[in-house]
Amino acid sequence: MLVLDRVTFAYPGQSVPYDFSLQAEPGEVTAVTGASGSGKSTLLDLIAGFLLPSAGSIRLGDTDLLPLPPEARPVSVLFQSETLFDHLSAAHNVALGLPSRLPRRKAAEQVRQALAEVGLPELGEQPAATLSGGQKQRVALARTLLRARPVLLLDEPFSALDDETRGTTRNLVKSLTEQQNWVTLLVSHHSEDVAAMARRRYHNTENRLLLS
Amino acid sequence: MPPSANLNLPSRPLRLLGGAGIAIGIAAVVALVFWSIIVAAADEPVSARSPVDIPHLLRMTSIQAGLTTILSIAVGIALAWALNRLRFPGRSLVVGLFAAAIVTPGLVVAFGLLSVWGRAGWASQLAILLTGEPLGVSIFGLGGILAAHVILDGALAARILLARLDAIPAARLKTGQSLELSPWQRFRIIDWPAISGTIPGLAALIFLLAFTSFPIVLLLGGGPANQTLEVAIYAAVRLDFDLYGAVLLALVQVTVCAAIVLAASALTPVPPSLGPSQGQKWGDRGAAHLLQWSVLLLALAAFALPLLSVLINGFGEALWSVVARQSFWQATGTSLLLATLSAALALVLALGVAQARAATARPLLRTGIGAPSYAYLAVPSVVLALGFFLLVRSFGINPAHAAPFVVVLANALLALPFAVATLAPPFDAISHSRGRLIRSLGISGRRQFLSVEWPLVAPEAGVVVALSFCFSLGDLGVISLFGTQDFTTLPLLMVRSLGSYRTNDAAAIAALMLVLTLLAFVLLPRLFSRFADARP
Repeated sequence: MLVLDRVTFAYPGQSVPYDFSLQAEPGEVTAVTGASGSGKSTLLDLIAGFLLPSAGSIRLGDTDLLPLPPEARPVSVLFQSETLFDHLSAAHNVALGLPSRLPRRKAAEQVRQALAEVGLPELGEQPAATLSGGQKQRVALARTLLRARPVLLLDEPFSALDDETRGTTRNLVKSLTEQQNWVTLLVSHHSEDVAAMARRRYHNTENRLLLS
Repeated sequence: MPPSANLNLPSRPLRLLGGAGIAIGIAAVVALVFWSIIVAAADEPVSARSPVDIPHLLRMTSIQAGLTTILSIAVGIALAWALNRLRFPGRSLVVGLFAAAIVTPGLVVAFGLLSVWGRAGWASQLAILLTGEPLGVSIFGLGGILAAHVILDGALAARILLARLDAIPAARLKTGQSLELSPWQRFRIIDWPAISGTIPGLAALIFLLAFTSFPIVLLLGGGPANQTLEVAIYAAVRLDFDLYGAVLLALVQVTVCAAIVLAASALTPVPPSLGPSQGQKWGDRGAAHLLQWSVLLLALAAFALPLLSVLINGFGEALWSVVARQSFWQATGTSLLLATLSAALALVLALGVAQARAATARPLLRTGIGAPSYAYLAVPSVVLALGFFLLVRSFGINPAHAAPFVVVLANALLALPFAVATLAPPFDAISHSRGRLIRSLGISGRRQFLSVEWPLVAPEAGVVVALSFCFSLGDLGVISLFGTQDFTTLPLLMVRSLGSYRTNDAAAIAALMLVLTLLAFVLLPRLFSRFADARP
């Protein structure tokens, strides 16, 4: 279980600091909702290690995440945009989720499997820049599969997608979360996404998270 | 608990350390060069000092650089406007030809102008054929210098301004087209705002290039009346053996150049790389269309004719007598080796600086790492060579022994401002837009470079290598002070041939230099683009 206990953070000049407490279970999607600018992305940055809190704790099971740098945290992040390197192929982007010392042939096989799992078996050689928004998110999910980190952070990942792609990508994330037993934390201000995916919901109001 | 900190950028201490080391090294070289120049000036006995007419030299240099700037910007705007509007088969080839202006050796262009407009040139021969009289125009003097500079710098300005015009958003053009703007209204309302911001920085760059121009003034100056600071420094060292005069002139030149660089840095920067032009369907009609064709044909004739004459004159009978000489092959080998080593060194230094700058968000650190590379914009090649010459001598080393190392280092340093300006933006772009992604994926070191950065920067690295290679291949400023009978490059061999009235030999060497330069400029970026294939 991912547990945030009184995680406190303030940007320079911010009078009331954020004070986040939250619990998220493996195998299910936990959603955090709130208005734009309410601090939802700040919460994910704190968990991912891009920001350091001034107080509180972040734990995954028995592991204290705070001393760990971002790259060492057991976390994958799916950003709203800029999830891929546009100048690389889809397969190359996915391969970045694998250890660099893996033999080429083995890596290529794993990449192919991961792309097939997210429904894009034929797009490996296509440059990321030419993929649609939904395809980009799927490629990023394939990379997340290979990284096999137990926590998946989703920062408004479906915002740029059309309704149909949104539905299929949402279902894919939900089923992967259940299959892989990920702790998935979804940050969104779209009630439809939250209703379709989340078992547990928090609402961010006045810089605090309230279970709803 | 540590204080809250933004960790958006990956922490890369080794990159920062490497970049800082390069920056300190470069700054130290600048400092040593200046120190040796100042010490030499102070040590020179008063009896050995000869009077130097600095106000005259400064006036002449400023007049030719100022006129070059005004004319080049005007030509650049007109040509960019014409190229932006006109669509014809081979357009990309023409655009590429003008882009090559930045690397075309000034010596070759000056020689080409002589072949066309000189006493025995094409124009004179045509005049004799038509009127029985030779052409009464002399290419030597201010007119010739300006013509050569405007051909090179006007083409450079056109290429940079064309990139700006081609980058105008399609939506803005559609709006203009739907409003039926006239060609003049279109230029005033759409084009001018797109290019006006670039002009001050571009003008400063052209002024600097013209102010420090060496081979063109050397070849076309036609006497002391049109001498510039750069040529006067060369003459003081190589011909008059007046070290004090050379040092004094060098200090004046560096001071003026530094002031221009400082002024230029406050103005809008010139776009760092020459991107491909975008397609655009809205062409002008009527008189504007005719004017655009006239401008293009005139510019093509002015730019291509001298180069064509170099090729035609060079690849005649003279070629065989030149290639039969051992000195030619020695000079070719030396030129290619020096250019390759200079380009490799410039690439390594620029990569180190660009990577380190991108690894930190602290403005002061970024400036500290980047600024020394740009210092060489303020140090003209002859001054840098003079500094190295004095420095080497002060250490008791024979300049002839140090020459290969000094020429490679000096040429790499002179190419560094262009190299860093080309490589820094893509590294910054990756760092800013994907810094968090790189960090969250745990990619670093060799893998970060080979898998993520190299595929993006390889084409730019190709441009850097091509620029540095061509700059070094055409260099006359540095080699003019360090060259000896046994250590000669193609430009030096060409000048020596001209000095001993072997014009045919010079023509053949100029043609070979032009071909080598154009081949390097076209092929090296393509070669590097092929290497862009990344490894996961």
